[in-house]
Amino acid sequence: MLALKGVEAGYGKLKILRGIDMTVPDGAIIALLGGNGTGKSTLLKAISGLLPVWSGEILFDGEPIHNKRPHEIVRAGLVQVTQGKDSYPGMTVEENLMLGAFSRSDRAGVRADLEKVYGFFPILKERRKQLSGLLSGGQVQMLVVGRGLMAKPKMIMLDEPSAALAPKVVLDIFKQINRISRDLGMTILVVEQNVRMALLLASYGYVIHDGKIHLEGDAKDMIDDDAVRLAYLGGTVAEVESPALHR
Amino acid sequence: MLYDFLIVGLSIGILYGLVALGISLIYSGLDIVHFAHGEIFMFGAFFGLVLYDEAGFNYPITLFVAMILAGIMGVIIERVFYRRLTSQGGGYTVAGMGMIICGFGMAIILQNIAFLIWGANGRPMHVNFGMPVELGTITLPQSYVWILVVSVALMAVLHLFLKHTKLGLAIRAVAANKDIAYLMGVNVPLMISLIFGVACALAAAGGVLIAPINYVQVEMGYLMLIKAFAAAVVGGFGSLPGAILGGLMVGVFETLGAAYISGSHKDIYAFLLLIFVLMVRPTGLLGVAAKVKA
Repeated sequence: MLALKGVEAGYGKLKILRGIDMTVPDGAIIALLGGNGTGKSTLLKAISGLLPVWSGEILFDGEPIHNKRPHEIVRAGLVQVTQGKDSYPGMTVEENLMLGAFSRSDRAGVRADLEKVYGFFPILKERRKQLSGLLSGGQVQMLVVGRGLMAKPKMIMLDEPSAALAPKVVLDIFKQINRISRDLGMTILVVEQNVRMALLLASYGYVIHDGKIHLEGDAKDMIDDDAVRLAYLGGTVAEVESPALHR
Repeated sequence: MLYDFLIVGLSIGILYGLVALGISLIYSGLDIVHFAHGEIFMFGAFFGLVLYDEAGFNYPITLFVAMILAGIMGVIIERVFYRRLTSQGGGYTVAGMGMIICGFGMAIILQNIAFLIWGANGRPMHVNFGMPVELGTITLPQSYVWILVVSVALMAVLHLFLKHTKLGLAIRAVAANKDIAYLMGVNVPLMISLIFGVACALAAAGGVLIAPINYVQVEMGYLMLIKAFAAAVVGGFGSLPGAILGGLMVGVFETLGAAYISGSHKDIYAFLLLIFVLMVRPTGLLGVAAKVKA
């Protein structure tokens, strides 16, 4: 569904991504792991069109999207779910959700999807008239996931859904993400620092380190491998050399 | 007498509010302070003059067409000139003085264009509204009734548009956070043009409304900008209800000051109010913690 070939991007003159190759197959949940400052967010921005891609190409559904603008990419069916802190705190829960459906014009379909989102996250329906700034951290995370679904995407990219949440809440959120993948057949790229949770959810994982894909492999193999944890914790490249996983 | 002054102050104030509303709308949407907004107001007044006195349209149609023309003019100015500056630095915001100086430059250019077309002499717009309205002890010329009614109607329409339409929702999203709005599938540059167009149309409405009671002249934009700016700051910069409240306060304050203290110092009172409000409440009356922007 999504394929990246040698993607390079950065800010100003500073190159952050130094040739990323990655594939997200139809219907799969793929994890992208990495610590702070490794290029995770930059990669998401490059895929979503918020940052220009310097070289390489990004294909979505076989179509190149690296020259498109963000709203065109949303229309193509690829939606980035922002972090919870990036809801619109001054708007109500329902306004946030309806904003997610901005690119659509089928009113009936939007209504139906709103109910579907409320089905996944009943608490949002209860609080739909409240300002989203008043929601708890977990509820806001549900809101941004729901808002992403309102665009009726073919694929969503989750930006650290576990950020700043209590472990029990994280478990809840990940269960719902799993359900969304199963019920809607949604293709999902989950970008995480919480390595263990992400690998439990995903079928395949990539570890990004210093702007490059450093490791990749089946989630089951990766979960037991210390290399991942080390890479994530900021261990040096030499420490985490692992022939079994290294590409 | 007090009631007469009050209602005149409110009418003038709501015009300040109308222009201030545009300034606040542009500030919250584009994060820039538009210093050429007074000139858009002036162009609006001249559009009104041409449409009414020369082309012979009636007053409501004049108002409507002048607003459309100024809106288109605003979109063109934003697309052709400001967009080059605002799109630098990857975002839609320009750090530093660039945008401010560009705004002032645009103001001077527009003034001179108006001077070339219409000359330096002021002229009134000859609208015959008929007999003044009697409200109890107050005798109110109909031009003031038009100002009050049209301004309130425009504000109400803007409110409904922003709160209850899909496009309004998208505009609020763009004002709050452009990147997130983009990720929601909102065409952000298009919304920015729309915001600019609406803000300029509001200023033009102010111009057409004031034309029957004031001389229409090339320099009229400058004082209006400063008053509207004061109104926007008094109400809390970037706050839309604040802009209206600030406008009304500035209008009433200066009218009462001119009536009871000294008429020749009329233009000082707005700034006395501004200084006083900023001393007591630095964010303005309805302002929230300021966005840090150039």
